[in-house]
Order: sequence, then structure tokens, then C-alpha cells
Amino acid sequence: MIRPPTVKFGSAAHDERVTSRLGVWLGISFVVCFLTGLLSHGIQHDWFWPSRPAQLYRVTQWLHIAAGIAAVPLLFAKLWSVYPKLFERPLFRSLPHAIEHGSILLLSGAAFFELVTGLFNAAQNYLWGFYFPTPHYAVAWIAIGSILVHVAVKLPIIRRALTIQLDPRRRQFLRTTWLATGAALAATVGGTVSPLAVRSDRGPQGLPVNRTARAANVVVPADWRLELAGPKGIRRLTLAELRALPQATEDLPIACVEGWSAMATWTGVRILDLLRLVGAEPGATVRVESLERDSIYATSTLPGEHTRDPATLLALRVNGEELAPDHGFPCRIIAPSRPGVLQTKWVTRMEVR
Amino acid sequence: MSGERIGPGDGTRAVFALAGLAALAWGGYLAIDFALGSARDAWQGLAWFVGGPVVHDAVVAPVVGGVGLLIASRISPRWRTPVLAGSVATGVLALLAVPLLWRPFGVPDNPGLHDRDYWLGLGVSLAIVWAAVALGGLLTRNRD
Repeated sequence: MIRPPTVKFGSAAHDERVTSRLGVWLGISFVVCFLTGLLSHGIQHDWFWPSRPAQLYRVTQWLHIAAGIAAVPLLFAKLWSVYPKLFERPLFRSLPHAIEHGSILLLSGAAFFELVTGLFNAAQNYLWGFYFPTPHYAVAWIAIGSILVHVAVKLPIIRRALTIQLDPRRRQFLRTTWLATGAALAATVGGTVSPLAVRSDRGPQGLPVNRTARAANVVVPADWRLELAGPKGIRRLTLAELRALPQATEDLPIACVEGWSAMATWTGVRILDLLRLVGAEPGATVRVESLERDSIYATSTLPGEHTRDPATLLALRVNGEELAPDHGFPCRIIAPSRPGVLQTKWVTRMEVR
Repeated sequence: MSGERIGPGDGTRAVFALAGLAALAWGGYLAIDFALGSARDAWQGLAWFVGGPVVHDAVVAPVVGGVGLLIASRISPRWRTPVLAGSVATGVLALLAVPLLWRPFGVPDNPGLHDRDYWLGLGVSLAIVWAAVALGGLLTRNRD
């Protein structure tokens, strides 16, 4: 009979005290990812979301990406700490044992799926053909579900392991993991200071562009008008007429679902002033349409929370200049605390609902 | 089950288990809904789901273990800890740089996004890490 080769694992990492401590931090990072991701999903599916504080979405989405990046070294460290279990024999011991191991495969698959697709999506690098948000959202529920089940199964061990002191070798392994996690965060999520950050300062008017006018196939017609539809009928305004309306200036961030954000000074007409022009009250829901056609982001809905907020603008200028074509010339929506994909560019029509 | 038996009064575990199963059921429903939309998407999604654990368990972990063993056996005790820590940080930073450096399916130019020199960025990050390793090694008193 051939005996399977026995592997000896001598690392200080292979110990329930190490596994549990890593698990606590990995669990926290996945819960942060899940909750902030759920918020971002909700905002894009018309759940209630406040317009203040103006930086709120910027912070929650930064947290989403930062917790995801922190989870990368934590996940590797945790899997390394339990790696010898992969070689335990016999494979099948009992049904509960088999179910538990199956749930760990689910957990590990879901965790890798979320981190890998998330990282590549944040870099706008699409190694897959599918539409990213749908499976990223579905698998997020599988990840959080299998984490909760895993904690339920392991809770007695976790409780026991967390109360036992660590020896210096194991403490060293954990310290190495924390250092690697810190290095990963410092290199990526510190704005343009981080050497591996997604964004630079090279965008037009100092702001990154997520979709150029060329990519969106947008050509502004010579007879462009902004069409405003409200209870008092339809008004069509030229750019000169928009410029002649009272102008407001607001400092607001562009905060992308992909985690980067940038502040800018925007000047334009307050949405609540535009609403009053067509007989609607601030707080009405407004559907915004872009000159862009074949994109799911060609239209957006501004909820009442945001049309009521005086900081919500139909911007004509950014950082003291007329909007660059890539930033939405002739005009774009800029509202506080919203994902960039909903800050519709190249606006051509607004309709009060 | 590798834990202890669920005894009376251990409600926390039951709450975690029930919430987890509910989330799994909802996630499973969403995943099936996604998979039914397109056979190509279903296969691709499955490949990404299964690929992570397989690549990790069969390739990443053995390589990491081997490198760790090599460092532990070849490097003097004084330098072992900082070099191990530096190697771990190097591996993590290199992995995080992959989506920025290797872009066969990157989107067309978006000015201001992923338009930096990421080889330089990775180089700078690793230079800082290994400077810290050198400092750590020099500051450590020889424990032999």
C-alpha cells in the first residue's frame, strides 16, 4: 500500500491562537466591505441616502476599498495559518465534518472572488466578460453568509484561543501580517501620495475622468438646449441663458465607486432654482438625461433629498474654467454625497417626476 | 463538528448560524439569477469562484512556504525576522500592483486614472520596505 507523503509544518503560524486573531481582523474587514458595499448598492438602487454630510459617500466608498485591500494580506495570513488542515486524512470523517469543510471552500471561494474582481475592477481592468456589479453583489452575500456560519461553528475555539497568551514567535508572525497590511494600505489608498494609487493629477482641470466624451460618443449639437420638463410645462434654455441665471459655487468631491475621490470647486445653477423655473418645489424627484446614448449611466434619478439640498448644482464650470468636454460640457450634475456614476455628464434634459 | 456541542444558553452561535444561512440563501438566489442570464457569464463567474482557492492551495501557499523555509534556513537569526517581514510585504505589494501593471483588458484612456508609472510606484514602495528591513536588521541586537 502506498502511503501519502506526510508534510511537516513547523511555522509558528499554524496555531488556533494565531488563526483566531487573524480571523477577528479579517472578519472586521469583510464586514466593513459588506456594509459599505451594501450602502453603495442601495444608493444606486434608489434606497434612501442623505445628501449630508457632503463627504459621506466619499468616506464610505474609501472604506470599502481600504478594507478590501487590507483583507488581502489578512486572508493570505489566515489561510497560511490553517494550511496544514488541507493535508489532514481521512478526508471524509462524518457528515458534519464534511459540511463544515464544504462551507470553508465556499468561504474561501467567495473571499477570493470578491477581492480579485474588486481589485481588478478598481483598476478598470476587465479580465472577464460579465457586468461586474451583479456577481460582486451576489457573492458578497455568499461571503458574509459563510463567514457568519464559520463563526457560529468555531465560536468555542475562537473564545478559547483569544484568551490564551501568545509566545514571541507567534506574536512575530502576527506583527509581520500587520506590517504587510499597513504597507498595502499606505501604497494604495492614500490619494495621489500613494505610489500604487489608481488616480493621478493628470486629468483635465486636475480631475480624473472615468468616461471621456469620445468613449461616450458625445458630440454637442450646435443648437443644444437644456430641456426642463415640470408642472408648468417645458422650458428650453441655451447655454447663454443658463449662464445668465443666478450662479452658485460649491466645493464638492467627485467620489467614484472605484474608491478614488477628488475635491473640486463647481459653479453653476442650483437645481432647486431650476425646479422653481418650471413650477416644481425643491424635494421633487428629477430624472436626468445625458447626450450619451448607449450606456446604463446615460440617465440618473436625483432623489428629493438631493434636489432639496442647495449644494446640488447643474455645473457649468469647474475650478474656475468652463467644463472640459470630458467633464461633461456644456453642463453636468454635481450633488453632495453621491457616487460619480450618478453625477450625470453632458446633460440635455431634466424632467420633474 | 470541530467546535463543542451546541449547548443550552449558547444563543450567539444560533443567531450567527441562522443569519449566515439566510445570507447564504439570498446570495445563492442572486448568484443563480446571475448565472441563468448568460451561460458564458455563468462559466466565467464559476471559474473565478473556484479559481481562487485552487490557485492559492496548489500554487501560492506552497511557493510562500518554500520561500519562507529558504529564508528561515539560509538567513542569519539577526536578519531572519526583518527579511521575512520584508518578503511578505514585497509579495503583497507585487500582487496589488498586478491589475495596474498587467492590463490586457484595461479600458481605453481615462485621463487622470491608472496613468501613472506603476513600475516606478512599485519600485519606490519596495525601496521603502527594504530600507525599513535594513534599518530593522541593524537595530536588532544579535540574539545569538
